[in-house]
Amino acid sequence: MNWTKFFIAFIAAFGFMFLFGFLWYAKLMNGAHQEVPILWRTPADFGNHFSSLVFGHIVMALFLTLLCARFVPAGGAGPCATLGLLVALVYAGANMITFAVQPLTTKILCGWIVGDLIQFTIAGAIIGALYKAAPAHVSFVKEGPRQGV
Amino acid sequence: MKRFILAFIAAYIFIFLWGWLLNGVLLKDIYVQTPNLWRSQDEMMSLFHWIIIGQALIVFAFVMIYASGFAAGGVIAGIRLGVLLEIAAIGMRMGFYAVQPIPGNLLFYGSLSGVIEMIIVGAIVGGIYKPAAARTS
Repeated sequence: MNWTKFFIAFIAAFGFMFLFGFLWYAKLMNGAHQEVPILWRTPADFGNHFSSLVFGHIVMALFLTLLCARFVPAGGAGPCATLGLLVALVYAGANMITFAVQPLTTKILCGWIVGDLIQFTIAGAIIGALYKAAPAHVSFVKEGPRQGV
Repeated sequence: MKRFILAFIAAYIFIFLWGWLLNGVLLKDIYVQTPNLWRSQDEMMSLFHWIIIGQALIVFAFVMIYASGFAAGGVIAGIRLGVLLEIAAIGMRMGFYAVQPIPGNLLFYGSLSGVIEMIIVGAIVGGIYKPAAARTS
C-alpha cells in the first residue's frame, strides 16, 4: 500500500463528498426535504449532531478509498469510477428500502439515488486518479557503455 | 454466469429473511418509540415491492463488485468486501442520524446488525461464486 497517495486520495475524496453533499442534499434538495419537515431535526438540533455528519463523511471516504485500493491497486480514474458506481447502487438499494418504510416523497427518493450515483462515481474517479499502489519491488540495472559514445 | 445467479439468489434469500427478523421482530420496540418517522403498517405493505427491489439491487451490486475484483480470494475476500461496504454504510447512516431524529440505539443496533449481515452475505457470495479460471484449473 502506498500510504502517502492513499492519504492524499482519502482527503480529496472526503473534501469532494462533503462539498457535494452540502450542495446537493442541503441546498439543491432543500425544497424537497421541506415537504416532509417531520422527518428532520430542527436547525439547533442538527447543529448539536453536526459532528456525526462530519465523522460519517470521513468514514465513507476512508472506506471507499480502502475499497478502491484493494479493488484497483493499479489505480486509474475509469476502473475506480466504475467501482464507485457499483457502490452507489448498493446505497440506492438502501434508499429504496428507506422509501418503503419512511414517509419520503418520490422526489426525495429520486434525488437521493441520483445524488449517490454522481457522488460515488466522481469520488471513485478522484481516488483512482490520485491513488496508485507502490511497486512490489524496484530493480536497479547498471547501465552499460553505450555504443558510439 | 450460473454461479453468479446462484450466489445472487442465496444472498438475496438471506438478506430478505435477516431484514424481516431484524426489523420486523427484534427492533420492533425501538421503531415504536418514533412513530412519526415511519409509515403505517398498511402503507408499508402497499410499498413492499420497493423493499424487494431495493434488497435485490443491494445483492446484485454486491455480487457484481465481488465478481469483478475480489473473486479470486474466496470466502475471506467476500467477508472483507462485506465489511468494507458495511463500514462505509455506517458512515452514511451517521449522516442520516445527524439530520433525522433517529434514536441512538437504533443507529447502534442497525450498524451492528449491518456488519453481521454483510459478513454473512460476503461469506455466502465468496463460497458460491468462483471465477471461470479457478473452476477450470
